[in-house]
Amino acid sequence: MTKIQLANSQYLYKHDDCEGPHPLDTHHIVIQQNSARVFLVFLFALLLFINAIYLCLLNVTANSSSRSSKWLVCKPLTESVVIISSLGVQLEAHYWSGRVVRSFIPIDKILKPVLNENVTPFTCYWSLVLLVRGKKELNLAFEVVKPPVKLLVPIWKALCAATYCGETTDSPAEYNSRVFVKAS
Amino acid sequence: MGDPKRHRILMVSDFFYPKFGGVENHIYYLSQCLLKLGHKVVVMTHAYGNRSGVRYMTGGLKVYYVPWKPFLMQNTLPTFYGTLPIIRTILIREQISLVHGHQAFSTLCHEALMHARTMGYKVVFTDHSLYGFADVGSIHMNKVLQFTLADVSQAICVSHTSKENTVLRSGLPPEKVYVIPNAVDTAMFKPTAERPSGNEIVIVVISRLVYRKGADLLVEVIPEVCRMYPNIYFKVRFIVGGDGPKRVRLEEMREKHSLQDRVEMLGAVPHARVRSVLISGHIFLNSSLTEAFCIAILEAASCGLLTVSTRVLPDDMIVLAEPDPTDMVQAIKKAMSILPMIDPQDMHNRKLYDWHDVAKRTEIVYDRALKCANQNLLERLSRYLACGAWAGKLFCLVMIIDFLLWRLLQLWKPAEDIEVVPDIVLSHDEDREISQDFQVFNKDHSLR
Repeated sequence: MTKIQLANSQYLYKHDDCEGPHPLDTHHIVIQQNSARVFLVFLFALLLFINAIYLCLLNVTANSSSRSSKWLVCKPLTESVVIISSLGVQLEAHYWSGRVVRSFIPIDKILKPVLNENVTPFTCYWSLVLLVRGKKELNLAFEVVKPPVKLLVPIWKALCAATYCGETTDSPAEYNSRVFVKAS
Repeated sequence: MGDPKRHRILMVSDFFYPKFGGVENHIYYLSQCLLKLGHKVVVMTHAYGNRSGVRYMTGGLKVYYVPWKPFLMQNTLPTFYGTLPIIRTILIREQISLVHGHQAFSTLCHEALMHARTMGYKVVFTDHSLYGFADVGSIHMNKVLQFTLADVSQAICVSHTSKENTVLRSGLPPEKVYVIPNAVDTAMFKPTAERPSGNEIVIVVISRLVYRKGADLLVEVIPEVCRMYPNIYFKVRFIVGGDGPKRVRLEEMREKHSLQDRVEMLGAVPHARVRSVLISGHIFLNSSLTEAFCIAILEAASCGLLTVSTRVLPDDMIVLAEPDPTDMVQAIKKAMSILPMIDPQDMHNRKLYDWHDVAKRTEIVYDRALKCANQNLLERLSRYLACGAWAGKLFCLVMIIDFLLWRLLQLWKPAEDIEVVPDIVLSHDEDREISQDFQVFNKDHSLR
């Protein structure tokens, strides 16, 4: 088992390589929790909660109760891409509450992994998506975490290596996936 | 990056493909020629329908379609500060050295230039149109223009008339304004091998049928010309391409004078089909009342048509007329008389306006803009203050808030956190051929 770690101020990239009859190749992106920030968010949530109870006691319906703590529980701590060679790719999201959401895409359904540039009204970011046969929408590998491209490139290369089976399929998607990354 | 002479330019305008028009064409052709000269060009515009995000065009021209909704005449809602984060992100991640805004109508362009100046970038502005001075819209527009141009490094106008107009409107020192005309894609607009012959002369009109383009003049000119040349010796026919609010008037005229067989109305003509319409005619008629720079005339001349219009071409390629029906009829008459002496192929070969030439001249303006001295906030504020008694103070306030917001953004999202986009190298043969090896030249992909 080997472990490669890359990190920046917000995200941590971990790579597990399992040998065996079915080799597992797992890529995790972990949100680095700043303890001071977590404490502040909790304090804020607590204040909101107390405030909500106070409002309830005053017989005022508090319908927006402690959204911030809910947000904290709903946000995954780790999102992973598990490449099970010759079988498929499993996307996992581990939540703070212990809940794990998994989705599996069989290898023959995957057309191509693509690094995509996204533009919102306020910012730009990169995302790793899987083009799936017979599906119009793109399959996002990391739905919540938005890691920088330098963390995504090794995962993308691993996915390419896993899904590449040596034949050329003529499809427009093929062209889109040709991202030549050159940082000088 | 390595070559200090190489510019990294961000073109900003609300007007870009898939919408079609003079400004859109200008940005596209200029960008293509600048790319060929070895510069890096990125275009920023707002999203058109479901076209948003990043697109690549021919030659690796990168286009950002920023998802801000247009609200009026393809313009985004003026938000003043709303676009600051995305413009800052793009400027940093594409390592832009110079911002080039197009068209005074575009709010996105004004905002981008303002933010770029706040962030200390050099900016160049190109004005493509003429404006009045008297009506409410123009007065407002001129104030906005004055605000933007108070601080640009260099400005470009498309003709001498346009320069005069811009200098008067914005109070910009004339030595800062350059004149670089538009050009025409001569490879696209070629005359046919043999001329449409027979005993008929076809007069082509292609323009939007609006007041400014002189559609009302056409209503008077067409019946007069038809009356002057009855179908006895040779036939005179009109082909009118274009759509607009004045189309109804033209159709009414056609009914009234029963000219259905001599005036053909094509409706809107897509740009790709303009050549096929042009080559079916002999004379191109342009009836615009005002025009900063009429690309349509150039396209017609490149197709070898004699043009009746205002002064932008040498005298032997054009017959000039006042914007007055009787004078225009006289001009058409003159054009008919010199028509036998015209050789379309010869006219095409003269190539007076070339995009490569435009790009080279624009490059010089970029060089000069980059040589301009850096100014601090106080020096720049004093320039705004000179814009007017009230407006000056207002402009200063807007700039100070912009500056503070920029500083705040720097704290909230430091420039180091914004990733630089790697340059994508696409050679022409790679465009076609699809290789399976995913070459990733990433020097720091193995960093710990």
